[in-house]
Order: sequence, then C-alpha cells, then structure tokens
Amino acid sequence: MSHGQDLNRRDFIKISSLFLAGSAAMSSQIGQTLTGGGTAFAGNAGDERVVYSFCEHCFWRCGIAAHVRDGKIYKITGSEHHPLSNGKLCPRGTGGIGQIYDPDRLAHPLIRERKGGKSTYRKATWDEAITLTAEKLYQIKEKYGPQAIAMLHHGYGYTFFKEMFKSFGVNKFAKPSFDFCCGPRHQGYILTYGHSAGTPEGIDIENSKYVIFFGTHYGENMHNTAVQEISEGIRRGLKIVVFDPRFSTLAGKAEKWLPIKAGTDIAMMQAMMNVLITENLYDKEFVEENTVGFDELWAEVREMTPEKAAEITDIPAEDIREVARRFASYAPSAAVHPGRRTQWYADGTQRVRCIAILNALVGNYKMPGGVVKYEKYKLPKAPHHHYPAFEKEIWSQYPLFTDIKPSNTMASHEVMQQTLNDEIKAWFVYGVNVPETITLGRTATLEAINKVDFLVAVDTLPMEVTGYADVVLPECTYLERYDDLDGGRPYRTPFVALRQPAVEPMFDSKPGNEIARMMADKLGLHGVFEDSVEEYLDKRLKTAGSSLEEMKKTGVLLAEPTDLYRKPGEKLKFKTPSGKIELASSKMKEAGFSAVPKYIKHPEAPEGYYRILTGRKPMLTFGRTANNRFLNELPTARENDIWVNPEVAKQHGLTNGEYVHLKNQAGVVSDYPIKVKVTERIRKDAVYMVHGYGHYFKKLKWAYKRGASHNQLISQTEIDKAIGAVGFQNNFVTFIKEA
Amino acid sequence: MTEMTTEIISTKLNPNVLPHLHIWEWHIPLYLFLGGIAGGLLVITSIMIILKRKFGIGPKDEGDGCPCLAVRIGSLLSPVLLGIGMLFLFLDLAHPLYVWAFYTTIQPTSPMSAGSWILIAFFPLAVLQAMLVNKKFLRERNIGIVNKLIDWTEDHLTLVALINSQIGVGIGIYTGILLSFFYARPLWSSSILGMLFLVSGISSAAALMMLFSPDDEKPLYSKIDANALWIELVVVGLFVLGGITGPANNSGAMMHLIGGDYQMAGMSYMVWFWGVFMALGLLIPLFLEFLEAAGVHIKFPLVAPVLVLIGGLVLRFLIVFAGQTYHTFM
Amino acid sequence: MAKQKNFGMVIDTRVCVACSACVYACKSENGVPEGYCRDWVVQETDGTYPKLRMENRSERCQHCEHAPCVTYCPTGASHYAGDGTVQIKPHRCTGCKACLAACPYDARFVNPRGYADKCSLCQHRIEKGLDTACVSVCPTSSLNLVDFNDPEGKAVSMMNGKEVYRQKEHAGTSPSLYWISASNKPGA
Repeated sequence: MSHGQDLNRRDFIKISSLFLAGSAAMSSQIGQTLTGGGTAFAGNAGDERVVYSFCEHCFWRCGIAAHVRDGKIYKITGSEHHPLSNGKLCPRGTGGIGQIYDPDRLAHPLIRERKGGKSTYRKATWDEAITLTAEKLYQIKEKYGPQAIAMLHHGYGYTFFKEMFKSFGVNKFAKPSFDFCCGPRHQGYILTYGHSAGTPEGIDIENSKYVIFFGTHYGENMHNTAVQEISEGIRRGLKIVVFDPRFSTLAGKAEKWLPIKAGTDIAMMQAMMNVLITENLYDKEFVEENTVGFDELWAEVREMTPEKAAEITDIPAEDIREVARRFASYAPSAAVHPGRRTQWYADGTQRVRCIAILNALVGNYKMPGGVVKYEKYKLPKAPHHHYPAFEKEIWSQYPLFTDIKPSNTMASHEVMQQTLNDEIKAWFVYGVNVPETITLGRTATLEAINKVDFLVAVDTLPMEVTGYADVVLPECTYLERYDDLDGGRPYRTPFVALRQPAVEPMFDSKPGNEIARMMADKLGLHGVFEDSVEEYLDKRLKTAGSSLEEMKKTGVLLAEPTDLYRKPGEKLKFKTPSGKIELASSKMKEAGFSAVPKYIKHPEAPEGYYRILTGRKPMLTFGRTANNRFLNELPTARENDIWVNPEVAKQHGLTNGEYVHLKNQAGVVSDYPIKVKVTERIRKDAVYMVHGYGHYFKKLKWAYKRGASHNQLISQTEIDKAIGAVGFQNNFVTFIKEA
Repeated sequence: MTEMTTEIISTKLNPNVLPHLHIWEWHIPLYLFLGGIAGGLLVITSIMIILKRKFGIGPKDEGDGCPCLAVRIGSLLSPVLLGIGMLFLFLDLAHPLYVWAFYTTIQPTSPMSAGSWILIAFFPLAVLQAMLVNKKFLRERNIGIVNKLIDWTEDHLTLVALINSQIGVGIGIYTGILLSFFYARPLWSSSILGMLFLVSGISSAAALMMLFSPDDEKPLYSKIDANALWIELVVVGLFVLGGITGPANNSGAMMHLIGGDYQMAGMSYMVWFWGVFMALGLLIPLFLEFLEAAGVHIKFPLVAPVLVLIGGLVLRFLIVFAGQTYHTFM
Repeated sequence: MAKQKNFGMVIDTRVCVACSACVYACKSENGVPEGYCRDWVVQETDGTYPKLRMENRSERCQHCEHAPCVTYCPTGASHYAGDGTVQIKPHRCTGCKACLAACPYDARFVNPRGYADKCSLCQHRIEKGLDTACVSVCPTSSLNLVDFNDPEGKAVSMMNGKEVYRQKEHAGTSPSLYWISASNKPGA
C-alpha cells in the first residue's frame, strides 16, 4: 500500500450534501421547532413528555429536561432534580435543539475512495464502514502492535470506545483539553493538596466574602452552578477582585479590576505571598500544622516585593498590598479561584500551584468560603472485560503527566509527535475537530493528519476533521442516545446522572454505545458489552440499589450533601508524599523541576504587534455550537471581533466595525477578515478575540467563513515539560487593513 | 472636558426597530398626501358652495345651482383621492384580513381609531356633495335613487356643506395629530403637526384646483393657495423653532430633519427640506403667485401649483421617514 | 376571594452576566420567529480605561401601567389583561403598527404572521402559578417574577435598601419592571 507517499492522499474532501441531513428532510423539523409557530404552548398534556438527561455542550454536564411534543424536542430547560442545574440552564443547553435539528448533520457513514486521482466520499452501510474500520485496525495492530493505534476524544460518549479499545489491547488515549486547557489545573492542585480542583471547582463561593480571579471570565464562560454560586455570593456580600488584561463580564462585577499585564500572574501572586508573609497576615498556625516547604517558598518570594512586581505586572504596588491585605482580612472566608483553562505559557502548573499556595497560606482549607473538597457518590465500579496486558500504563513522556487515575494516557500533542515519528499509524477520533484544536498549531497538526495511515472520525457534524478521515461514522447527538452514567464527579450533593434519549436517532446516525458494540463484535471481542446499553445501565444501577426504570423518572440519584467544613480540632490529611499541603512540591523536585513556583519572563510582542488573548462567549462552545443556527442567530454570537484599545486603533488607523485581516509574528495571515471592536475594555499591549470561528469547511453552511480563526494564528507553542500541557499565548498579531 | 464613552452590546433582533424604527414605508406618506389633499379639497369646495349659495360670493355658476367647474371636479376628486389613499393604508397593514377590527369598536384614546372612523364618516356626505354639484350631469342619467339623494342634499345643502368643511378639517388635521401623539418619536411629538398637515393639505388642494380649473377661475385658487402657503410658512417655522428650542430629544430630532445628512433617495434630509420643500415647494410658488397677483404674467403659470404639490408630497415623506430614522425618546 | 394579581419583575443587574439564556428560553417556549426576539440582553460599559463600570440587563416589554401601546391601539388588540400585564389579541390586530411607534422601549415587533407581538410575561405559565420561561432558566436568578399585590411583599423586600430604578420613568409609562442597579454593593 502506498501510504504516506501520496501527498494528496489526505486531501481535504468536501462532503457532498447528498450525504448530509439535507434540506428536504430537515426543513419541516427546523421550520416548526426553530422558527416557531408564534403561539405559546397552551399545555395539552396529551402528547407532551419530559425526558430527564444531561447536556453535552460542555463538561459541566448539567441536568436537562427535554420537552418533547409530537416526537420533536421543542424546548430544553434545566432539570430541577440535578444538583448541577437546580432547574437553571445556560444558553448552550437551551440551544440543544439547534444541534439535533441542524440541517448540516452527518446522516450516513462515509468511506473515502480514490477515483481518477481525486478523493471523494461514498455513502456506506454501517456494516461496510465498521468492517473496514475493524479490518484496518486489526491489520495495523498485527503489523505494528497496539501502540500504533491512538484515540483522541472529547465528549462523554467516549467511554464505550475506550472500553472497546482497552479490550482490544490499545491504551493510547488523549484528550486535547488536557493539553491546552485544564491539565495544569488538575496537576497543580494534586501536587499541592493531593487532590484535583474538581469539576465543579472546590471553592465555596456562595459563602465566601472575598474571591480573587486571575483571568477567569465567568459570565462569558457559563458554568451553570459556578455562576449560580457567584450570584448567590454577591447577594450575600461577596466581593470580587479580578486580575485580567481585559474588562470582562466578571470584572464588571468586581470591587477592583486590575488590568494586569498578560503573562505576569506568577509575579503578582508571589508579591501577594510576599505581603502576607512580611506583614504576618498569613495563618501561621495552619501553615505550621498542615504544610511543608514554607521556608523554600519564602526564599523564593522574599525578593518579589510589591514594588518589584509593580514594574513587572503594571499594577501599582499599593493596589497589590491592598488586595493582599483585604484577602487576609476576610480569610478564611476568602479564596483565590483556580479557574479552568490555565495553560497559557509553559508554566501553567506552577501558576496554579501559586493559587493553591495562596489559599493554603490563609488557611481557608475546608472552611466556609474557602477551598473545599466535595465527595463522590459511592457508585460501585462497573465490572469490566478482561484487558490484555498493556506494554505501558502511561505513554506520556512527561514525568508528572497526571496523577489522577488516568482517563488519558498521553497528551494529545504527543499523539501528533508520535505520528510524525511513525510510532502511531492509526487514529480513532471521537468528537475532536483535530485541525482546529490546538495541540501543536494547525500546520503541525495537518502534517500529522497527512502522515497517519488510517483515520476514523466519529462525529455529529461535518467538522473539518471529517474532511480528512478515511471513514466517517455519524454518531447521533446526546439527545438521541444513552451514555454511561455520570457518577464520578465530586460535588456538594454527590450524584449519579443518567443520559437517556429523548427521541430516536435521526437518519442513519447511531449512538456511540452501538457503534462500539458493532466494532467489538467485528474485532472478535466477546463479552465486552452487554447485549444492550439499557441492560448495562440497569445492571450498574441495580448495584447501587436503584434501576434504570427508577432512574429514568428524574434522571439522577442523590446522596447526602458533602460535609464541607473542618471540625474544630480535626486533623487534616492530604494525599501528598508528605501527607501535608506541599508549598514546595517534592514531586516536582524529584522530577527535576523547581519545587516552588518561579516567575519567568515571557516573550514580549514585537513592535506594532499585540499579544492575542482568547476566551469564550456564553452562548457558544466552539466546535459544538459553531453551526448551531438557533444559538448563532443573536448578533453577539454571529461572529467574533478583535478587541483593540482606542489608542492602538488610532495608531493603526482602525475604526470601529471595519474588517481587517490579522497577521501573526510568523507571517501567518488569517484566512478571513475579522471585525474591529475599538473598546476601552482592554490594555494597550493586547488584543482579544473569541476562539472557535473562521471555519473553512463549506458543509458547515452556517459556520463557514464566519469570523476569523484564532487557532490559525497560533504558530508558537510552549510545552510544560513537567506535565505535557501546551501553552500558546506567546502569539502576537498585527493588523492588515483591507485594500 | 473629557468625554465619557458608553459601550452598548445588545443581542436585540428586531428589524422593525433596529437600526431605527422601520414600520411605515411609502404607503403612509402617500396616504397622508392624498388624504391631506382630499381634506383640503373638501374644505375648499364646501366653503365655496356655502359662500356662493348664501352670500353670492365666488366664481360664476354653471347655472341651475351648479357651481364652477373647479368646485365640481374638486368635490368629485375628494372622495376618489381619499379612496386611493385608503387603499394604500390597507396595503400597509400587516394583518389585512383583520381590517374589519377597526370598525367593531371605538377606542376613545386612540387617534388611529378616531381616524379610521372619520375616514368612513367622510364618504357619505362627501359623495352626496359631489353628486349635488354635478347634478346637471347626473339628472340626465335619470336614476331614481340618485335623484332622490340629490334632492335631499339640495334641501340640506348648507348643513351638509358645513359638516363637510369640518370633516375636511378633521381629515386634514387628524393625521398630524395621529403622529404627534407618539411621544416616543421626538420629531413627530409637536403640538403643531396637525395644523401643519392641515395647512399643507389646503395649499396642495388649492394648487390641484388651480391645475384643473379653467383659466378665468385660476386667479381665485391662486389667491387661496398663496394665502395657504404663507400660513404654511409660518406654521412650518413654528414647527421647526418649537423643535429646536425643545429638550434634547426634540431639538436633536429637528436638527436630524433640517440639518441631517441622513439620506433619502440619494439626497440628504437637509437638501430635501430646504431645497425641495422650502424653496421649491413654498417660497418659489409663493413668489410666483405673488407676482401673478401683482399682475406680472409668467410664461409658465402652472409651474407654481406643480411645485406646491411636489413640496406637499416631499414634506410627508420627510416627516414620516425622518421621524422613524431618529432614535427613540430617551 | 383570591386577590387580583399585579405581575411585574424585579431584575437584579448586579448578578446578571448577559449570557442570553433568557433569550433562548423565551424563543423555545414561545416559538418566537427567526429574526425577532421578545427579550434581549444588553451589556453596557461606561468610562475610560482603566476606570470602567458595567451593567448587564435582560430587557423586554415593561408591561406599563400607563402603556402608550394600549392607549394608542385602535382596535383594543393591545389591552390591559387585569393581571398587571399588557397582552395582545392577535385576532383583533390589523397590523397597523401604531403600537410599535408608540412604545418608547421599542419592545414590539411585527410577527411574520401579521400581528404585533411582544413579551407576554408568559401569561400561559404565570396563570398556572409557574414562573416565566426567562425567570425559570436564569442561572444567576437575576430575573424574578413578582406579584406587587402579594401580601408577603417579596417584591418590596427584594428592593429594600437598594438603589432601584425603572427605565424611562420620565416617559410617564409607569413600567412594571424594576431594576436593581449594578452600582449597588454586594450584599446590599
């Protein structure tokens, strides 16, 4: 087989609309559901039902109530039973109807063929597609070994595929969001406290009096209960402090917004530690009893006075002192929030450790308004099929990749690297739009895509990755399927949640559990799955004293609320090597890295260029919602814009509303122009654009050419050598006016 | 003094109000124009009928109680033009099949309700008047019911004509009142708008009568028109001054009209207002008619009335459009 | 005898994050046509860098007590519903659009089906004792449905001690939406 030599082998195929849902089949559904009849439903109870499930628009996985009438979901509201919604829902959740009734959805399995020098897709039956996939994977495993196959995944339905692959002997799993999003946050906390920050984060916001945020933009990222807690906190008197180069929505609620220079958070936090220690404001007793490494920490931060930090961070020294002092005065009902996307430069882990250390210094652990640790529902683990012996348990080269019982075994950029090195020959991509997902930047990613021998993409929409695949398997949306129980996350009220279909899968799409079962069968793996997913769920629920029938009624099982706070005299225990909170991390030291966070100066922008910052909009989740007509109808969602300070705009002759192209420091020019937003809300040395626009796949009929791609402008990446996360914030852009 | 900047981001989706109010297009200004003329015609013709019948003042009769040609045509045109105007109103409705809803209730606080009823009330007496003044022609047709109606009208002519003159005023004025009740639209929110539309309607009607009257009757209508024009000039002046001296909403809206560079059909409001309406539509015709009255004959005498009509039409368009393109009451 | 209701809203802009969940929930609940909205979200930022202030608001029809749209409607289609809200009877609407011109809040639109349309305060829900769609979904509980005739006075207690305003009060419309200003301190 001439793999790898044919440069056009993986040329991008534009999927013919014949193979997509198509306008004819969709229009009636869309017309009724999305544009609406204009009459409010008067409430005929007859043919209306409510199905409880959980959302898939983001990792919060809030409980939803899907309202079905005449076989169509006409609205989605928050589940009143699920503790992560409390009946409320974010805009993306309500917009699920735009995803299920998207006219551009994948409708059939597709197989790539070469005819006369050109690649096209042809419609295939499930049997054909699964057989081809199984054959190829089997061949590659036989020839190169199971380590030549890797799965990239994002989305809760991945569990069935993981189970199948593990039974097959493959255990290379990578989730891109670890690399560039929350990896450092998990690891930073684990190295300090011995446990993850959690999702939801373990900060008792609603009872707190003073919470500091570094760059986190709640309101623009819509984590349901986090926002609920912040609101409740405000009603109870919570004061918010925001360090952000941009005046975000959250900054709009802050008692103090400090427009910190990007890339200097560690210096700021070191200065705060300096003030706490110099002015004796930290909780000495707590630190002595529950932490190790104080002296090492002090040795590191004693030089970082507020004056020195003021020069680095561009925040006046008296402001730094004021925040540190107020923080200490409200402690222990005060906390620094760890955020979520925390890999900006290669020092993300240490930055999160700074946050954890600041919290530890004021002794807010397990105190009202401080850092808390939630509990999980005690759901017995599912019995699993026998796995063959794996060559390695963890494939990542990074020493501190993850201490959580790994759901992933390597970083996604390592998948790219290993593909380029010929170690990986096949990719199974579940719900990851690889070319637009930052792992090493678009160029390197496309190189790897071109090199890989076999690429299977499981997706709901024709995202760009499907244009490069050898086999495209259409999965139905979360509203049309069962998935595994969501029972592994600790929260205030420990819970297990059920995902159940509200309607039947549309067209020829299938749920992941069925696709995985078909693949297991074809690969000759027996007994991996129960005969049906309902059977599996029922069995599992029965071990917890419930049943599928029972759980379908409310979609959740709840346990007693977590006992959050320390009792007087309680001895705290931490799962760290020392058994205490590690202000100086022994594991980091052992692995050859700095035990305490160090401030490292990051590259500056060249003259006339500005650091490009990114974030979210509250009604969007990047790829998942890019083509969602229901959500994108609003003028604020239709396109992204580039936020430019008025002085910078004047310098470059930019007017509000004009379209420009962006060029980065490596000379990459954005494919599509972006609208300029001249605003007072951003520093002079940075610009801001929301990620997830600028799609170039024509079949995403709505998303095509809207806004500009932030991902495309990432040429420079830095890898955190400790955990393998990838930072991409050292990219700078300038403006190219339209001719 | 440093300027405070306000940044507003809104998710509002509503082509009816964004980027500005956008609900009435050409239908409404055209109706206002035709309605104003119809009202003006009715006022002029009914007053002339009374003056002739009761006081013997006015141009010569055709005999047998039939007034001069201009009055006969004017009385006929009045209901016809109003009918056409009402057709435009109907076309503007978004829910036309429900037009009957106007006529199953009277909403006393709504000028539009009053207007819809006035429009109906207009027809019976205006048609009777039109029939009466053209009775010579109609008698020849010898239709029983028609003759009866003409007789009845003849008997009650003074009353009919008086009522018609009031209805004519009502038609001319209510459209201005209708717009002026919208305090949410600062340009329209002027107590003198009703008067402006009335006077403009009368001047346009007189101009129209000038156009179709025989030569010997023209001077009369020219005089009526000239008077109406200078009253209109005064009223426009008050309208503009009232706006400019008002609070921010009103002065801003008035400046948007008379000094704005917002475009209508390729020209700015300012050019339309001062160039077309004021100069061409008011001042030049006034000057020409003044010359006529002073005995100086113009080679193209019909220029003046045509300009007046153009001015009347442009005024309606300007007010309806500029009132919508300015921002809502703050 | 049950006391007559006088519905309105108290909207706490301190906690609103301008996420627009209310907009989408309303769209789903009421089948609002594409290209139009019954409620919308505004994010207002004032000042110059770095001294900036922000207020977020979810706006809709104010269900005024002296509603110019009701005063102006020639057919009685727009009317006071007796429960504190202003409603529209589509079968009495001629589509004359006077109500759109009359509204100083620009809250109405012309439904493609021909009649004037706007927020109905989810009358079909509130008459059953439910919250409106927007209030139900709002993750920050910025939106609150209140009954001003409620003897427990929840509306008043929500606003007590805070800086509260109504929009365009000088227009004389007596709107039923009360806004807790973002300039209030947390815990006010």
